[in-house]
Amino acid sequence: MSGSYLARRLSSALFTIALIVVVNFILFRAMPGSPERVILRGTPNVTPAQLEAARERWGLNDPIFPISFDAGGVVVSGDNQFFKFVGATVAGDLGYSFVARGQTVGDVLAQRIWPTVILFGLGELVAIVLGLALGAYSGWRRGGRVDLVGNGVSLVLYSTPYFLLGMALLLVFATGLRWFPTFGMLTAGVTYPDLGARLVDFLAHLALPLATVSLGLVGQYAIVMRSSIVETLSDDYVTTARGMGLSEGRILRHHALPNALLPTVSLIAINLGYVVAGAITVEVVFNWPGLGTLAVEALTARDYPVLQGVFLLLSVSVVLANLVADLIYGLLDPRVRT
Amino acid sequence: MTAADAAFGAPAPRGLAGSPVGLLVRLVRRPEGAFGALILAVFAVLAIAPDLFVGPLQTAVTAPGTRLSPPSAEFPLGTDELRRDMLNLTVHGARVSMAIGLLATLVTVFIGAVVGIVAGFLGGRVDAVLMRITDFFLVIPTFVLALILTPIIRDLVGSGSAQVLGIRMTLIVIVIVIGITSWSSTARIIRSQTLSLKERAFVDRARVIGAGGGHIMRRHILPNVINLIVANAVLVFAGAVLTETTLSFVGLGDPFQPSWGQLLEASRTVGAPGLGAWWYFVPPGVCIVLVVFAFTLVGGALDDLLNPKRRGRR
Repeated sequence: MSGSYLARRLSSALFTIALIVVVNFILFRAMPGSPERVILRGTPNVTPAQLEAARERWGLNDPIFPISFDAGGVVVSGDNQFFKFVGATVAGDLGYSFVARGQTVGDVLAQRIWPTVILFGLGELVAIVLGLALGAYSGWRRGGRVDLVGNGVSLVLYSTPYFLLGMALLLVFATGLRWFPTFGMLTAGVTYPDLGARLVDFLAHLALPLATVSLGLVGQYAIVMRSSIVETLSDDYVTTARGMGLSEGRILRHHALPNALLPTVSLIAINLGYVVAGAITVEVVFNWPGLGTLAVEALTARDYPVLQGVFLLLSVSVVLANLVADLIYGLLDPRVRT
Repeated sequence: MTAADAAFGAPAPRGLAGSPVGLLVRLVRRPEGAFGALILAVFAVLAIAPDLFVGPLQTAVTAPGTRLSPPSAEFPLGTDELRRDMLNLTVHGARVSMAIGLLATLVTVFIGAVVGIVAGFLGGRVDAVLMRITDFFLVIPTFVLALILTPIIRDLVGSGSAQVLGIRMTLIVIVIVIGITSWSSTARIIRSQTLSLKERAFVDRARVIGAGGGHIMRRHILPNVINLIVANAVLVFAGAVLTETTLSFVGLGDPFQPSWGQLLEASRTVGAPGLGAWWYFVPPGVCIVLVVFAFTLVGGALDDLLNPKRRGRR
């Protein structure tokens, strides 16, 4: 991989992350209430000294931006709110939660990150494997029974909001058939004899949210993969391979699939940002204690620092995931490395 | 024809697929296009005149039924926890969901088209800056941004009972937030079309006889990308309905003008899936799926018609 491709991808990702921090700063300034109140709202019994210390730490006595105007003309100053905000963000200081008294946003996020990583990591994995397989097969046997049924089902799934799918699964498999618990990650108030029992309970709770996420994603991945395969199968080298008398299975595995996979992978990466929206709502339906329910709790309580923390964390994760996808793409496909 | 047209020559011929009317005719000749258009027409009628079918929107005061009763002869879709008829709520939900979807689509497509045409036509530094911003919105989870923006903008504009076009301010804020956060893919598509258009001879001819950049963009570029904008708007509409539904579902809707998403939120709050009260969330849910499905079908069909490379590949 050439150095310039790497450098360009890296600088683009860094620029996006910088812009995310800038947007976060603007949101922080646009929030109702004065900034020091916003920062200290979660702390009980604020003394004037604390207030002044917070003003000093966040630079609220300084100008907002590095360049400001006063009677004497343009003032350029290193002491400003913007730099201090960026400095604090880079140092991992995201302020205090309004609701969880005395807890930093970082602590609140840390408690909720793993349930989301597990649910969405596994959900993505299942959806990618199933979606790509289904899409490749329907594209290969275009017009066949699997293609017609699969394409219709994919389109309907693609049009269904994730949370609606979750509510339907909840109604049928938890309320109706009682196969799975209705909410949470573990049964409340239960002590487990051993780790195995705990794991079984966890998996029972995981099943429905995981099925929802996978089903929600599988439709769009299948659609993308199918059209990519169809496109590839009409390329000249496939015709050449047919002309050489290779078997259809060999053409699919060795010629069409590898080339059709590439654009699909980059589309999956680009769509991650949208997937996050679905992530949030699925967690809400099943009361899964992850970042999604945290975001909605924070939204209901107008806990802006936590909401901003969730935004920062999810955005940076998506940008980094895209960067990784770009780099893998660059490794696999020499044509984009220019 | 204006004097400027006489001087610079008539607007360039519509390059992609003839007039919008011709496009519509070719659309409904395709089975999936016709099916999608039919579904949308039904919902459009419901949205335009809900009172005609189910009477005025019921409130907790005027509700006729009993609490959370299953479908019956009197209430074919059952009732909600406030004793309101679900059929009434679902039909009125069509109006709210479709109106917000339409307005949000207009805002989104307007921003996207302006950014795309300006970036593509002017090129250079303007293009670089605009595309950096576009990529930013393309990559980040814009829904999470919308979650933060909505309450902040609501606090800024105040939450009275003020209305715009008969829509409450809370919902207008949702329209604006969807517009701000979802224009990026439109801008990308329009930009790439503009890039190829500006190399065409008719743009050079207009420039040679002294037409300014603004005039060329309005009179020569825009007419040539308008079909593309329409096709994209259809897909944007599907996305806007989904985004509105999701925002309402997490509690940002307006209980006084309930959209389908708002009904779903209410049903979740009451615990309808756990109570087995399927009639509370299945009707609005089915409507959302049908509308988004129809828009996706129509959008896909238009995309095929306008994109010669994909024609006949389906």
